[in-house]
Amino acid sequence: MIGIEHYLTVAAALFVIGIFGLFLNRKNIIILLMSIELILLSVNINFVAFSSFLNDLVGQVFTLFVLTVAAAEAAIGLAILVCFFRNRGTIDVEDVNVMKG
Amino acid sequence: MISSDIQIVLPEIILALFAMGALLGAVYTGKDKTASFLTWLTAGVFLVLGAWIGLNGQGTQEAFGGMFIDDSFSRFAKVVILFSAAAVLIVSIDYMAKRDLLRFEYPILVALATVGMMVMVSAGDLMALYMGLELQSLALYVVASLRRDSAKSTEAGLKYFVLGALSSGLLLYGASLTYGFAGTTLFSGILTAVGHDVSIGLLFGMVFMMSGFAFKVSAAPFHMWTPDVYEGSPTPVTAFFATAPKVAAMGLFARVVYDAFGGVVGDWQQIVMMLSILSMFVGAIAAIGQTNIKRLMAYSSIAHMGFALMGLAAGTAMGVEAMLVYMSIYVTMNIGTFAFILSMEKDGKPVTEIKALSMYSKKEPLKALALLVLMFSLAGVPPMLGFMGKLAVFRAALEADLVWLAVAAGIASVIGAFYYLRVVYYMYFGEDSDALDGTMSPVAWGMLVASAVIMLVGIVNLFGIVPMAAEAAQALVN
Amino acid sequence: MSVAAIAFYCFALTTVAGGLFTVVSRNPVHSVLWLILSFLSSAGLFVLLGAEFIAMLLMIVYVGAVAVLFLFVVMMLDIDFAELKAEMAKYMPLALLIGVIILLQLAMAYGSWAYSDGFETRLAAPQGDMQNTAALGLLVYDKYIMLFQLAGLILLVAMIGAIVLTLRHRQNIKRQDVLAQLYRDPAKAMELKDIKPGQGL
Repeated sequence: MIGIEHYLTVAAALFVIGIFGLFLNRKNIIILLMSIELILLSVNINFVAFSSFLNDLVGQVFTLFVLTVAAAEAAIGLAILVCFFRNRGTIDVEDVNVMKG
Repeated sequence: MISSDIQIVLPEIILALFAMGALLGAVYTGKDKTASFLTWLTAGVFLVLGAWIGLNGQGTQEAFGGMFIDDSFSRFAKVVILFSAAAVLIVSIDYMAKRDLLRFEYPILVALATVGMMVMVSAGDLMALYMGLELQSLALYVVASLRRDSAKSTEAGLKYFVLGALSSGLLLYGASLTYGFAGTTLFSGILTAVGHDVSIGLLFGMVFMMSGFAFKVSAAPFHMWTPDVYEGSPTPVTAFFATAPKVAAMGLFARVVYDAFGGVVGDWQQIVMMLSILSMFVGAIAAIGQTNIKRLMAYSSIAHMGFALMGLAAGTAMGVEAMLVYMSIYVTMNIGTFAFILSMEKDGKPVTEIKALSMYSKKEPLKALALLVLMFSLAGVPPMLGFMGKLAVFRAALEADLVWLAVAAGIASVIGAFYYLRVVYYMYFGEDSDALDGTMSPVAWGMLVASAVIMLVGIVNLFGIVPMAAEAAQALVN
Repeated sequence: MSVAAIAFYCFALTTVAGGLFTVVSRNPVHSVLWLILSFLSSAGLFVLLGAEFIAMLLMIVYVGAVAVLFLFVVMMLDIDFAELKAEMAKYMPLALLIGVIILLQLAMAYGSWAYSDGFETRLAAPQGDMQNTAALGLLVYDKYIMLFQLAGLILLVAMIGAIVLTLRHRQNIKRQDVLAQLYRDPAKAMELKDIKPGQGL
């Protein structure tokens, strides 16, 4: 029998992979953005799983909004990235380090 | 039912409609030629809405099944947000026009971000919280990279975006666990579901959500984006970041920990205390070596968030009251300081080096004096208003028996005083130089002087905001 | 093992594997493709959970729009990815450590999921007999109308943002002016010259 824990584990694994990807690809912004998409996907799996096991639709409504926002976020992120690339000719953020911190 | 709901969210609706109307109007008429007028108009709308919310609102009302809460806490936060956003818009016009940055989208994006902030502080549901937060954040990512032909500005936008999106992800993950535990996304439902005992799954949810908030208020150890973003963004945008969004994020933080997790104060109190201490020390120590005034202000805001969180950590109505008072004073000080920073220029180019202030007092005694008052106030030197804010949070911490937290805060504020005094030292005793030659626009000058005067005069009764903050805190904590 | 269980394990495995290869693969185009695999298999998981509408949406919005947007940007920007990847090994130990720690912590938390007492009374929208899509529609357009409008505002911000950041009005480019074209007539555009034979202009 597949219980809620199974789904939560998949989501947790995906979430951790997302965080792992953020640390692993600190220089490659495109993969960073994809890691963030993975984190959001893991959140969606959580919500839908809870929604199904609680027998409540609110989780799916939340997922709906998360999807919308994630699409908007991807659009803005890539727009900023394109702008940055036009200025620098690279997408490597750490290399730039005009701003030490 | 729907009409009474709309009545309650009317200010937000009006602001959103205004933003859309302004967008259409500007696109079909003069585009960027209308920008200056539009910025003034947006500031005017903010002021009118702020006054309306402040004077008109009464009691506690809920709309859309508890998703949106209009109480004196949210009204207090909204008034601070609207007024500070208006002030920042007004001081930034001159700077942006000079640097060819004044695009008509700027006031519109700020207006939309403000709608998001107003929803944030009124949120009564995890979904409303998330949507408000994202509306604010997405607009802010764009304005951070507004100077799109500058590598610095776009890099700031990119860093802000990546870390902001990560923090939203953490927050959402926490929200999903909380929903799974409670079976509802309404704060009131979560409050009853949590009771007085935290299960481990919920604890994870709470911790993830709080780390998301810590990112948004730039509390250490989630502060690393702040200095880079503050330095890289155009200065008016930095001024905006340092004021209204901070109030909104802090309001949201308080709203969630009290409205949703009010039954388990002991559990989140430890986290908030840790955030508070770390922020105060990181802000105070890291600022010492800074040579750029925008980076200095970034660390200063981290430290100030630490003090405001100390009020929250007290876990009492008095603590929330102190936090609100502290935030209002902090915002006022920052507007004055940024009005000055915006006017720092040499041969028409903006200057942000602290050294450039050398012997500034000789050239512009009045402005130097005003900045001196503001710096003393930021440092929390006794006769100024900044001291009253610190006093309030110290008292709240002591009342809640957090003596060691208050002691740590005392040490941090002494360390922090050093770098504010360094700015003053440069102005009055530095080497002779003429690194600054800009003139200040009358509006910015007015803001600077007004903010400095408030720091001195406000000491009498803080303009009566204390009882208002107390009422707001009562509405939240019960 | 039932068919549903087998399906779950297949989808779960491909979701996680897709995610993992997204972050470790050397070529960003491959990354995007792995990401698409991950989205598709999680859509499968959603169908298993009875959320058909969300599953469809994930395909249309994510695979159809977001992933393609990523591909578009990867291909548009001329980036030397080999150089970026060389740095990856440097962060591997730290990233691995953090990942394993968080995973262990989460595993501790999920030993068995505890719901709050009496959560049934708090459900805001219990699932009835209605079809998934219809039920979601009723909620989104009625009870959660405020959020729906806010989502609209968010998309508006995304649109304004993308235009502000990337739209450039280049000078020195010929643009089409439809009205001018429509109002052009032979009298203004042409000049008839009467040239006598053998003389030239």
